[in-house]
Amino acid sequence: MIKITNLEKFYKTEEVQTLALNKLSFEVKEGEFVAIMGPSGSGKSTLLNILGMLDDSDGGSFLFNGEEVSDYNERKRAHLRKHNIGFVFQSFNLIDELSVFENVELPLIYTGIKLAERKEKVHSVLEKMQIMHRRNHFPQQLSGGQQQRVAVARAVVNNPKIILADEPTGNLDSSTGNEVMDLLCELNEAGTTIVMVTHSEHDARFSHRIIRMLDGQKVTENLNVLV
Amino acid sequence: MLKNYIKIAWRNIWNNKGYTFLNIFGLAIGITCAALILLWIDNEMSYNEYFADYEDIYTIKNTQTYGDETFVFEATPGPLAELMRNEIPGIGNVSRSASSESLFSHEEKNIHQTGKYVEPEFFEIFELKFIQGDPSTAFHDLHSIVVTESMARKFFGSGDVLNKTLRLNQGQSYVITAVIEDLPENISPRFRFSWLSPFKNYENANEWLQGWNNAIQTYVKPEANADIVSLNETLYGFIQTKLEDSESHLSLYPMDRWRLYNEFDKNGLEKEGIFKYVRLFGIIAGIILIIACINFMNLATARSEKRAREIGVRKVLGAQRKMLIVQFLSESVLLAFLATLLSIALIYIFLPPFNDLVNKQLILDLSDPLHLGALLMITIISGIFAGSFPSYYLSSFNPVKVIKGIKSKSSSAAFIRKGLVVFQFSISIILIIATVLVYQQINHVKNRDLGYDNEGLVFLPANENIKKNFQAISNELISSGAANELSLSGHTPVNIGSNGGGFQWPGKDPENDVLVSMESVSPSYIKTSGMELISGQDFNPNVEANESQVIINETLAKMIDKENAVGKVITRGDSQATVRGVVKDFVYNNIFGNETSPLILYPSSQDFNHLVINIDPDKRSTAVSAIERVMEKYNPGYPTELIYADEKLEEFMSNENMVGKLAAIFAGLAIIISCLGLFGLAAFTAERRIKEIGIRKVLGASVGRITTLLSVDFMKLVLISCLIAFPLAWWFARNWLENYPYRIDISIWIFVVAGLLAFLIAFFTVSFQALKAALTNPINNLRTE
Repeated sequence: MIKITNLEKFYKTEEVQTLALNKLSFEVKEGEFVAIMGPSGSGKSTLLNILGMLDDSDGGSFLFNGEEVSDYNERKRAHLRKHNIGFVFQSFNLIDELSVFENVELPLIYTGIKLAERKEKVHSVLEKMQIMHRRNHFPQQLSGGQQQRVAVARAVVNNPKIILADEPTGNLDSSTGNEVMDLLCELNEAGTTIVMVTHSEHDARFSHRIIRMLDGQKVTENLNVLV
Repeated sequence: MLKNYIKIAWRNIWNNKGYTFLNIFGLAIGITCAALILLWIDNEMSYNEYFADYEDIYTIKNTQTYGDETFVFEATPGPLAELMRNEIPGIGNVSRSASSESLFSHEEKNIHQTGKYVEPEFFEIFELKFIQGDPSTAFHDLHSIVVTESMARKFFGSGDVLNKTLRLNQGQSYVITAVIEDLPENISPRFRFSWLSPFKNYENANEWLQGWNNAIQTYVKPEANADIVSLNETLYGFIQTKLEDSESHLSLYPMDRWRLYNEFDKNGLEKEGIFKYVRLFGIIAGIILIIACINFMNLATARSEKRAREIGVRKVLGAQRKMLIVQFLSESVLLAFLATLLSIALIYIFLPPFNDLVNKQLILDLSDPLHLGALLMITIISGIFAGSFPSYYLSSFNPVKVIKGIKSKSSSAAFIRKGLVVFQFSISIILIIATVLVYQQINHVKNRDLGYDNEGLVFLPANENIKKNFQAISNELISSGAANELSLSGHTPVNIGSNGGGFQWPGKDPENDVLVSMESVSPSYIKTSGMELISGQDFNPNVEANESQVIINETLAKMIDKENAVGKVITRGDSQATVRGVVKDFVYNNIFGNETSPLILYPSSQDFNHLVINIDPDKRSTAVSAIERVMEKYNPGYPTELIYADEKLEEFMSNENMVGKLAAIFAGLAIIISCLGLFGLAAFTAERRIKEIGIRKVLGASVGRITTLLSVDFMKLVLISCLIAFPLAWWFARNWLENYPYRIDISIWIFVVAGLLAFLIAFFTVSFQALKAALTNPINNLRTE
């Protein structure tokens, strides 16, 4: 599903050039659950942004479903993104001015889905995430766990092929965090590919494979024996 | 999608009420201001459209050149109309016209009404709406009169007035043969009339009309297929075919230019009249709207940090930039709509005082597609304009950064924001300077030494009773102490409307004709008006003793003989007169002029239209009641409608007065709107720097220091605005003052005052927020972080 080869990314300021990704290569197969770990500054988030087509790489190749996407323009990337990729963030990133229903509905609006179908899809995903009863609430009225459920619901409402999760439990207490991890596992079992960046060894244990990074490079890549 | 945009826009508006209020209120002021000005412009542009075919109606202009100066009059000679009808093919309908303010009487009612003596063809040229009677029979009899509905009502109340009679000037009775609809307000003032009567009446009373004096108007509606260019070619030399030596060159001047242009320069070329104000106010209204839109831009971009995350999330979820642009534009247009709703209320509130100011009866009619359309246009244009920069800027955010909460240092947006504040304040300062300047110039002219006793003079139209009883009136008023002196004259010294060429004197080049103003006066005129005789003698109190003697003004005296013009003989055709005295130049006709035109005051026993009375300005009210008493005795039945010289002078400055008042209003609005924006920006700056303020306070910074810290950046912007505004304002001021030969010097103090005022207003606006931030308990701020 994803194949990156010799991927590079620099950050330049006036004085220094930092190498965020240094000839990174790996592959994620369809249906896999991959955790990416590493200390701060190791390039995990940069990698996730590039995988999510929110950011450009400065070198190397990025194949998405066999298509080279590193030279796609903004419009093409937005198109690919909204049809194939769902995002879950550490800080949930729900829009405060929109209700739960409306937040989840947003990706469907951008993919141009008709109102009736949108309603149906949103309701079904909210049911699945067990937050249907909160559909008319606004994010500030929800607990952290509930907010992240909404964020996950929003990420999956479009049936993306892959979910990119950036420390999805980082802002949650452990039991709520576990609930979210269970949710991701369920999605994965249902066939969704998941790439998750995390600091938490605990969370990483839910994945099939752990890629450890340091200074923009892959240091180890292990199959998760626990799974 | 649009529903989603509007929904989120509405929630944003609702959740940020303070910010929304600043935006909507500022924008509403801008829209109100633009709408009022557009109503005024629409009115000015629609002058004379009341008459069908107004574009095909002309008045005859008369161009004459004296020396190196060309004058354009609307006065034409009496025989012209008939000659044109007979000799110029295609000229179509022609009517002579003479305006007259006359006293009409019915039973106890005596009312002065302005009207015109016209020929029957007038009705062919100007399509009037007849309520009673019809144009074909209106002028059947010599002593018939057509009156407007409101004039009819003044005398007879409601009901049928056909065949009722009105006495004219206490003499001949005229039979009402038709009633026409009142002319609307947007008709050229000089053309307006309340009654029409056959021209023959005027002709019979004024024998001189047989000659070639230029004294009446001639209106023309050429045949439909007539070639105007060739008609003008014929007219240019037409008078010369009858009167070889004439200076007059005629031309057609279209009715659609009577209002907005109708002014002519020294070369006789048409220049902008009212139109220059239409353009000026149009531009200023646009600028006020831009200033209001800038508030939205600045507040929206300043608040961008608050919305950055939303933008990032939307982008991550697949929103393309253009979708976000549309989203933000729909927000600003929605806001503009709300502002328009408020501004409709404001327009209704402020229309009456605005009407007083511009002296009109403008109305906002929302059922008029033009008004509604214009309002919608303003709304949409200002909404899109206000949202343009914010939507472009906000949609450019990098989702990765904003989601991570990385505050972009977006120096470009801050720079543009500062630039826009500078623009707002520069305009405000320019408008403040303009206001002060216009008022200074008006005062300068008001206080100028006119060369006669402007404050002490009152005038009364002189009819036969007054002329006949002049001596008795004079004796009674002087002996009772009500008046210092009285005299009779053709015009008032404010406005001397009679002039001519063809004067000769010893040593004058006969080829170089000079246009000289002529004023008929009674012997006591110089004394009454308070003019100063600088050489020679005043008129002899005995009228006969003054025969063939004239008093001239200084300008003419210098033309005749720089040393001593007294005793020199002036000739014109067969008549001649000796210069008896020279009066110091006084200001007449052009109160903004520096040069006085040559003038002859000639003694007369009949040629008078005005009674001139010199009273003590401090005892005006007792003098007026004394005059009224005396007039009741000698001029019974006529209302005593006194004209004050200083008020008449004000009329000459009506445009300047209006510009001054509007400039003051515009300046006030510009500064209010700019301050609303500044207030909002200061609030956001304080909010953004709240942690910094907390830390500084914990470290011991005083309230004063923090207030200064937060205010100083804004004050710098006002300073830059001054630097930009001053040279621009100076340039505008110099250009504007060039229209007035008698003008003020541009004083540096105007700039100092305007700059200080802007500085103070801005400081109070900003320091309120700064002080509020500085006074908060720092612990609260630090804890929230």
